[in-house]
Amino acid sequence: MAIARKPPVNTHGPIAWMRQNLFSSLANSIISLVTIILLLWAGVGLVRWIFFEAVWGQVWINLKLFAVYRYPADLLWRPLSIAALIMLLLGLTAGGSSPSGGEIIRGVFWWVLSLVIGLNLIALITWESVRWWWTLVSVASLVGFVLGRAQPRLLRTLPWLWGASLPIGLLLLIGVAPEGGLRSVDTREWGGFMLTLILSGVGIGVSFPLGIALALGRRSQLPAIKYFSIGFIEIVRGAPLITWLFIASLMVPLIFNISPDRIGALQRALVAITLFSAAYMAENVRGGLQAVAKGQSEAARALGLSGWQTMRLIVLPQALRAVIPAIVGQAIGLFKDTSLVFIVGLFDFFNIQNIVANQPGSLQVPGGIRLELSLFLALVYWFFAFRMSVASRQLEKQLGVGIR
Amino acid sequence: MATRTTSYKDSSERIPFYRNVKTIGILAQIIFAVAVIAGAFIIYRNVATALTRSSLPADFSFLDSRAGIPIAETPIRYNPNDNYLKAFTIGVLNTLKVALVGVLLTSLLGVFIGVMRLSNNWILRQIATVYVETIRNTPLAVQIVFWFTAVLTPLPPRSLNPIELPGGALLSNLGLAIPWTYPSYSFSAWLPWLIVALLLFVLVFGFRRRQILLSERPGNPWLPAFIVALLVAGAGYFIAAGGSSLPTNIASEVRATSGVATVFIDANQNGRKDNDEAIVPFAAAEVSLSQGFLEAQTQELTESRQIIYSTFRFPPIKEKEFAQAQVSFVDPEASQGLSIYFENFPSEGVVYRDLNGNGSFDRGEETNTSGTRVSGYSAKLRLEVTDFKRRIVADRNGQIRIPRFSAEPAAEQESAGANISPAQLFAVPAPSEEALQLEVNIDLKESAPLVMSYPSIPIGPYFGGISLSTNYLALLLALIIYTASFIAEIVRAGIQAVPKGQTEAAKALGLSGYQIFSLIVFPQALRIILPPMISQYLNLTKNSSLAPLAAYAELFAISIIIANQTGASVPVTIMIILAYLIISLTFALVLNIVNARIALVER
Amino acid sequence: MVVTAGSTRADAPAGGDKIIEIADLNKWYGDFHVLKDINASVNKGEVVVVIGPSGSGKSTLIRCINRLEEHQEGKIVVDGVELTDDVRKIDQIRRETGMVFQSFNLFPHLTVMENITLAPIRVRKWKKSKAEERAMYFLEKVGIPEQARKYPGQLSGGQQQRVAIARALTMEPKVMLFDEPTSALDPEVIGEVLEVMVNLAKEGMTMVVVTHEMGFAREVGDRVIFMDQGQIVEVGTPEHFFSNPQEERTRSFLSKIL
Ligand SMILES: Nc1ncnc2c1ncn2[C@@H]1O[C@H](COP(=O)(O)OP(=O)(O)O)[C@@H](O)[C@H]1O
Ligand SMILES: [Mg+2]
Repeated sequence: MAIARKPPVNTHGPIAWMRQNLFSSLANSIISLVTIILLLWAGVGLVRWIFFEAVWGQVWINLKLFAVYRYPADLLWRPLSIAALIMLLLGLTAGGSSPSGGEIIRGVFWWVLSLVIGLNLIALITWESVRWWWTLVSVASLVGFVLGRAQPRLLRTLPWLWGASLPIGLLLLIGVAPEGGLRSVDTREWGGFMLTLILSGVGIGVSFPLGIALALGRRSQLPAIKYFSIGFIEIVRGAPLITWLFIASLMVPLIFNISPDRIGALQRALVAITLFSAAYMAENVRGGLQAVAKGQSEAARALGLSGWQTMRLIVLPQALRAVIPAIVGQAIGLFKDTSLVFIVGLFDFFNIQNIVANQPGSLQVPGGIRLELSLFLALVYWFFAFRMSVASRQLEKQLGVGIR
Repeated sequence: MATRTTSYKDSSERIPFYRNVKTIGILAQIIFAVAVIAGAFIIYRNVATALTRSSLPADFSFLDSRAGIPIAETPIRYNPNDNYLKAFTIGVLNTLKVALVGVLLTSLLGVFIGVMRLSNNWILRQIATVYVETIRNTPLAVQIVFWFTAVLTPLPPRSLNPIELPGGALLSNLGLAIPWTYPSYSFSAWLPWLIVALLLFVLVFGFRRRQILLSERPGNPWLPAFIVALLVAGAGYFIAAGGSSLPTNIASEVRATSGVATVFIDANQNGRKDNDEAIVPFAAAEVSLSQGFLEAQTQELTESRQIIYSTFRFPPIKEKEFAQAQVSFVDPEASQGLSIYFENFPSEGVVYRDLNGNGSFDRGEETNTSGTRVSGYSAKLRLEVTDFKRRIVADRNGQIRIPRFSAEPAAEQESAGANISPAQLFAVPAPSEEALQLEVNIDLKESAPLVMSYPSIPIGPYFGGISLSTNYLALLLALIIYTASFIAEIVRAGIQAVPKGQTEAAKALGLSGYQIFSLIVFPQALRIILPPMISQYLNLTKNSSLAPLAAYAELFAISIIIANQTGASVPVTIMIILAYLIISLTFALVLNIVNARIALVER
Repeated sequence: MVVTAGSTRADAPAGGDKIIEIADLNKWYGDFHVLKDINASVNKGEVVVVIGPSGSGKSTLIRCINRLEEHQEGKIVVDGVELTDDVRKIDQIRRETGMVFQSFNLFPHLTVMENITLAPIRVRKWKKSKAEERAMYFLEKVGIPEQARKYPGQLSGGQQQRVAIARALTMEPKVMLFDEPTSALDPEVIGEVLEVMVNLAKEGMTMVVVTHEMGFAREVGDRVIFMDQGQIVEVGTPEHFFSNPQEERTRSFLSKIL
């Protein structure tokens, strides 16, 4: 029989690996050595800066500002219970999803959960007022996960639960009573990372149906609807988001003919973000619609389904499934782009840095703390955006395999 | 049989209109159109009433009124007295300035990173991957603020002693100044040569192409044409440089109060620049001064995390620019026991008290701990220079600037105290009029058609070369680095998308490595890369609207100012949308042309 | 017959003019020993058919001959030139060997004519007119002169593979290597490609053909090499394989494809 020999050169172990990947030729060896030295030098500098030179105190004492801006400190249980609700739903989704299909969402869940538990630990040690509310968030996540595991049937109600969580959450944030624990909080007091999440969540959530409608409109046979959709989509996509935010802040009061102070910056920003996002969503959905084979709708029509039924039951489900990665990509983009609301004077997570940088405590630090702030911001945004982009790639792979 | 025929519908049977697909469609459209028009009307009415109530401008007539907006960077001449339209135009030009340079540089960086991701060197691959994954997952806004507030603005406030980069570039919190070539007075003598070279280029190119076609061998018509053109242009350059002499009556006038000289054509030979006499831009000169002095006050400076006390800084003067220089205390009495330590002779150093008596400067000796609070020593210093010489090229306004030397003791200046803002650093005490009997000598030099202008700092802002503000740099850097992370992915995917079989087939045919890349892989990869690349270029251009974060005055930033000043919400909105629509449509047009040209013919 | 450890030798008949010689060839992909002690040679004008189950190393073997794959041990000599790391020698051998791939690998951005004349002009430094004339000659030979100005994407699979053959032939190679040239084709067009190959063989071209078309082997094949698990298991004339294959592995393989 065939007798396999070992190759004449070693292909195992670190030495062989280095020879193949770092020192395969003279030029490569030089490049490797030079880059290793440069990396070491940069790494040492970075570590020294982070641990010895940087002044993180200002970031640390302003974490509440970064999280919720001026949302009243005694009402912090409200955003935190919304966080608990969302983590409960995320846990349910992750726990209840099928073993193979749920890998991706579970990965995201554990990633977020590790952050939540980390914050929970910090809260237990130092943030007295929200100690137990953070614990609630952790517990809710785990309860959701276990519940989802035990009762996968719950999964069917999830779309409704997710849909309901948006208005419930907003209502709880706004408040319902004139005073007390449920007293209303002006949106001018909202901000920080909470606002960033609200803007991205509402932006994607509301633009989703709008985007589908626009996409269908664009493919409509009826010229009036078709050209309206095309015009809307192309004009909105033609100018950048930041200009739409600015335009919304100028024009919304005029359009509704009300005094500018009767409509808050948050509402104006939401209008701009939602419409902007809808135009991009429409293009994504349209890509999905185009990907659905024509035979599908023909077969459905041949079975006697109406046009609307064909769209709702046959074409849209397939199209939307195909565009999930693109929508996740759009969500990442929107998450990053919410930082542009500084232009309408909102203090989202990004804009808080300008408050912190100008506090007396920050100005006292020689050279200021802009570098610390930039790195802190970049790290937080990156933590979420990177994990979502990994998930998006995994989805793409999974869907690609599923289709084939 | 008869019964069967009756079951067929008569095609002329009338269908109720609400069941007719055609009328349903028309009806739906009418309803939709009415809704849209009604909505538009309501909006129009609301806006109109709101505008009349607040009496804000509703048309574009305000564009012709005085803008009064100071803009730091203007590609074309502009002053705050110009009208709003001019200000907006400056904004558009500034957008183009950042977009064009950005597109060029981001392409280079993006292709570089993309190729790095395919390298067979593991480290390079990892670096490229980390680059892509960090940069594109961090908001552009964060990156702009990072470059602007965390990197460029806190650069040492070295308006007077910038970081000298290789090649003569200067970097400080004023921005970056790089050497730049400008056409001198003799450029016109070179121009005919340039035209001839261009013609020859076309001729040789055509000739070579015919020749190649006839010889039926692959060849490069560009190279010979390029070489011939280069030779002719080069020869012309030297002939023009050698044959030309300074224009007659060229002269310079020193207005020493401002440390500025103007180069002009002294038509009436009165030695002064009269209003109707033309200036000469970009003249090369050697400025010399037999004796002069500058004065400076010690300051506290912050560099990264350290406060450096008792620092003094004079406008940068290089060692080779003077015969002798000496720095001394203006008031020796008050400065008893203080010594001077130079970080950079003669223009930068600290004043210290030799506490341990070792005769040299040690860290800590520059702080004055005698009082209750830590501070530096307040002292006034004088830099005396003999035989100062500097080669310098006049700017586009024919102006030459050197440090503002004085000839005699300047009038006593109010002590500025220890807490001087960086801006005040520029404010070297202005010498009084009679103190300025300076022997400044400006020797205009004959020069080649192109002169290289090196940046220097006479006082305050940069002079010479070309300077880029920190605002522009921050925006440009962030845009380049951010967009490159997307381009890198496009390039990587594009190259990887060319099937391995293509390279193998080319290898099997005996093509060389370079031929395989240039004839087989590159043309195919380009087809995949170009369309998404163009949309990244559009993204970069649109993203330049984040300029307000770096206080760079491009089209959107200026629009905001205009809207705030005039309250002309509606016209400004229309201007913004139109400007970006035009940009987007231009890119779409380019994309369509490219797509049409590169489409692969398929069955 | 005794099962031998190591490969059977596949030497060309003595007296011939050896154009390919492979001695003690060993190749690994990482740790995977893909070719084991291969000894084989091919005479000028011979047609050698290589068969064997998928993954047995047939492609790897013929791709070693023109250095699309690098071998670690042993010696490969083509037309008197030994394959080493010397770029000049690699180029020389690639010029003298033509290769036809299973997936055609035509260049989609070039017309049929440009595909064919690219290498003659760039590598052989022929004049364009000569290259085009030779290209037309071979296009006629493979029966599709009218397709010269089209792009590969506009041709059928059979036509594309014939263009690929013409492309290799125009370089006037001394040896032609075929790696499963008909495997990616629809059954009804396999015939047209095989016909071209049969004619080529009859004109005396030296050919090494990896294929499972035993009809082709029987019609023009001089020798058949059966490979399995990186070894040459059995060598013989086509008749030998049809009538009495010796090895058990050969028999079981043939029963599957015939
Ligand atoms: N580039 C490669 N890297 C690793 N293994 C490979 C590579 N190419 C082929 N192989 C392996 O080598 C073996 C022989 O492959 P191949 O020569 O293509 O077989 P055949 O052509 O006979 O089907 C197979 O097991 C295949 O998986
Ligand atoms: Mg094979």
